[in-house]
Amino acid sequence: MKNWFRRRNRATEIHEEVESHLAMRADLNRAAGMSPDDAATGARRQFGNAAIIEEDVRNVRGLPWLESLAQDARYALRGFRRSPVFTVTAVLTIALGIGASTAVFSLVDRLLFRSLPYPQADRLVSVGIAAPSVDKSEFVFADAYVNLRKHQTPFSDITTFGFISDCDLSEQNAVRMRCAMVESTFLPTFRLQPALGRNFTHAEDQPNAAKVGLLSYAFWKSRFGGDPAIVGRSISVDGQPTNIVGVLPPDFELFNLSPIDLLIPEAINEARPGNGRLFRAFARLRDGVSIQQARASLQPLFEQDRRNVPPQFRNELRLVVRPLRDRQIGDLRLASWTLFAAVLVVLLIASANVANLMLARSASRRREWTIRAAIGAGRWRLARQVLTESLLLASLGAAAGCGLAWLLLRFFVAAAPHGIMRLDQASLDGRVLLFAIALSLASGVLFGFAPAMDTPAAGSMAAGRTVVSTRGLLRHVLIAAQISASLVLLTGASLLVRSLWNLEKVPLGIDTQQTVAAQFVIGRGYDERAFFERLETALHGLPGNPTFAISDNIPPYGGSRARPFFVLNVEGRPPYPEGAGGMVGWRYVTPGYFAALGIPIVRGRAFTEEERDALEMPIILSRNLARRLFPDGDALGKHILSTDAGVWHTVIGVSGDVINNGLDHQPQPEYYELRKHFVDATYNNRQPGVGWRAATVIVRSPLSPETVSRTLRAMIASLDPSIPVTMQTLEERAGTLTVGPRFDALLLGGFAAVGLLLAAIGIYGVIAFLVGQRTREVGVRMALGATPMAVTSMFLRHAAGWTLAGVAAGLAGSLVVTRLLATLLFQVNARDPWSLAVAPVVLLTVALAAAWLPARRAARIDPVRTLREE
Amino acid sequence: MADSLQGTLDLLILKTLQLGPNHGFGITLHIQTASQGLLTVEEGSLYPALHRLDRDKLVKAEWKTTDNRRRARVYTLTAAGRKRLEEAEDSWTSLAKGVGRLLRYV
Repeated sequence: MKNWFRRRNRATEIHEEVESHLAMRADLNRAAGMSPDDAATGARRQFGNAAIIEEDVRNVRGLPWLESLAQDARYALRGFRRSPVFTVTAVLTIALGIGASTAVFSLVDRLLFRSLPYPQADRLVSVGIAAPSVDKSEFVFADAYVNLRKHQTPFSDITTFGFISDCDLSEQNAVRMRCAMVESTFLPTFRLQPALGRNFTHAEDQPNAAKVGLLSYAFWKSRFGGDPAIVGRSISVDGQPTNIVGVLPPDFELFNLSPIDLLIPEAINEARPGNGRLFRAFARLRDGVSIQQARASLQPLFEQDRRNVPPQFRNELRLVVRPLRDRQIGDLRLASWTLFAAVLVVLLIASANVANLMLARSASRRREWTIRAAIGAGRWRLARQVLTESLLLASLGAAAGCGLAWLLLRFFVAAAPHGIMRLDQASLDGRVLLFAIALSLASGVLFGFAPAMDTPAAGSMAAGRTVVSTRGLLRHVLIAAQISASLVLLTGASLLVRSLWNLEKVPLGIDTQQTVAAQFVIGRGYDERAFFERLETALHGLPGNPTFAISDNIPPYGGSRARPFFVLNVEGRPPYPEGAGGMVGWRYVTPGYFAALGIPIVRGRAFTEEERDALEMPIILSRNLARRLFPDGDALGKHILSTDAGVWHTVIGVSGDVINNGLDHQPQPEYYELRKHFVDATYNNRQPGVGWRAATVIVRSPLSPETVSRTLRAMIASLDPSIPVTMQTLEERAGTLTVGPRFDALLLGGFAAVGLLLAAIGIYGVIAFLVGQRTREVGVRMALGATPMAVTSMFLRHAAGWTLAGVAAGLAGSLVVTRLLATLLFQVNARDPWSLAVAPVVLLTVALAAAWLPARRAARIDPVRTLREE
Repeated sequence: MADSLQGTLDLLILKTLQLGPNHGFGITLHIQTASQGLLTVEEGSLYPALHRLDRDKLVKAEWKTTDNRRRARVYTLTAAGRKRLEEAEDSWTSLAKGVGRLLRYV
């Protein structure tokens, strides 16, 4: 602003200086005897063109390019005001492209581009063995880890993370916390410092050491009011005094982004590590060591460990050393890149559209250009004018786009439930806005480039009449490019939709209607069996006479308890060899389980209430387990699975197969045992971890799910108000399985639709423009006897030619691109002929329809009127 | 070489200002009179040149009232301008000498 005033003053000053010069010359002239008028005129004549000289002087002082830029911009804005339809269309198109790209960028930024919040995060790796049947992510066994830690060479630091479990702050106003167990080297490996106090030591990270912990910053603030005196104080965790040694930094973030309240030592028993505990291991590469080198140097250690694993598992084991970021985003990486690439393609299509709009506009401004060129505007100056206009359009579009991005982001958050892509952290921050600005500049140059090259050279006044020339070629190449880009989008979208369709059709093996599930974990202080007895009694009081059941967990994901297949010995047969047959799932259920979940009993019968007091041990097998155990005989009545005391379970029924681990896994073999009213061998066969404290109550009722949820929640609260309960209808629970694919399909489908729409508008615009340009020619043709039909088809053929060229290029592109999507697809080949055929047909139809509208107008041209107008 | 020819106008202006502060019109008059009519400076070149010198801090300008009670922008040589004048004079002299020798060489 200040500068501007100075420039203003400078211009006045220069003017005054010239005026003073003229006055002095006039004085001199008068002194020589001229009349005052002649004196003044003479002075002016001698001086020459004062205005031009003043401008020259101004240019010495100022920034001439800035001045002419402002002039270009003013001129451009005047032009925009004169053609509002063009301006609005262009700005909206850009806004669409930039808005969508910006919104998606803000989603994927954190996953793909933003660096992890650890110093030198690129040196951090996740180390472990991958065993798909055990866990989706790599892990280490305690004994293997102790060995690894002792003998590894490629890492400067190595550490482990145990698991996160619920724990209770058992003081006044008790709360449930999330405790994460880590090794004492965890914070140093990630190069993190406590905000307050210190990290716990190696000595404190031993099995029998006094309990210590670090509070999370948020929990310290909320529970202890940010009191620094907390360090050194003892709090009660699960009834045990725990000394707080420090507070984590405010921006502390676990590798898997899970929120936690307390960090406690995992206390690996180094003397006796072989108790089957699993850990996640993380390490920091030494300087100059690559991931490949690290993997190669760990391979011998890995081979050694592998020998200790049962043979049937050996082949599926793999050593994994991968960057922490890959570990963190896992499956989301491909989906994120897909969405990001798709939205950039939409932006390209939008840019091509605006380029075409500008080309059409510049054709109609031919006269203006040639006049400006004739009176001395250089070619560069004219090209700069066009670029100024395109950049101005881009900035207007970007401003509107940011608004659109904000709206879209809200829509994404609404469309995708919590947990997908860390949506809660996506926002329009400075980084994202910077990205939007960069995009608008890039797209402005992109779509301004073609029209800028299209400005006339000086002296081309002869081209005063508008003529379609090579510019027509450029315009059509742009259209073909748009078509091919939308084809790739369409193919990708139809593949994802097909895949989603297949996923939705997978039989879950359960009936999800009218059923509500309540999941919770009861506190450590309870006699678990007594609690569930009380709960069952209460459940009998539910209104509407519902079917209900208690289980430890339920399908269709989250897995179940599992035991090795070989423990399922059959009476009268030799035991299976140790290690044979992989894992078998099992559940501990009340009799109503099958009816409540709608799992069919295909042979025999379900459990009865009476059996719960009897000593006999009934068992129900899933159909695939029954077939596996008794390939050519009836499973009913057979005795299997002897307890340590030698008591056999009797097979009383065979149930339908059920999906337990998500839709892309086959139903797992599974068996069911009955929850007794007394402590039996199965009850005592608890596994480490939560034991029987985790439970799911299933209620199938004719009443509305809302009512059932409310009563059920109240019922559990009446037993213990401090238990947090997760309430879901089974429909919701099954729905979450396809949330990710549905979100991907929705977004990609949306982008494909937008791309298609833009391409259609592009074709419409170009054909309409051609029709306008060739009105006279069409008039002549019709005067010479061409039928309206022939005229329409002339334009349609034209459009079809370029569309087909685009389709051909697009198909080639699709073949390459869809292969990259392969792992996102479920039971659809990446070269699915159905999708590859449908997309071009849709495109051709839409393109021809878009071309038909203006082509039909050409057919209505009245030859007499056209010819008279000339 | 080209520099010294282009710098001629600057040289004329600086040399004029060496005699004392002067305004644009005064400078034109002086150059014309001192060269006995051989050199005429066009205003279209003079003012851009003056402002360039001002921008480069070789002269300094301020508004003053002249003897004829006209307000005029009066230019004064600065220290840097004096130094530049010396250099320009030297280079001009050697240029003129060189050109003179060339013309006399037959």
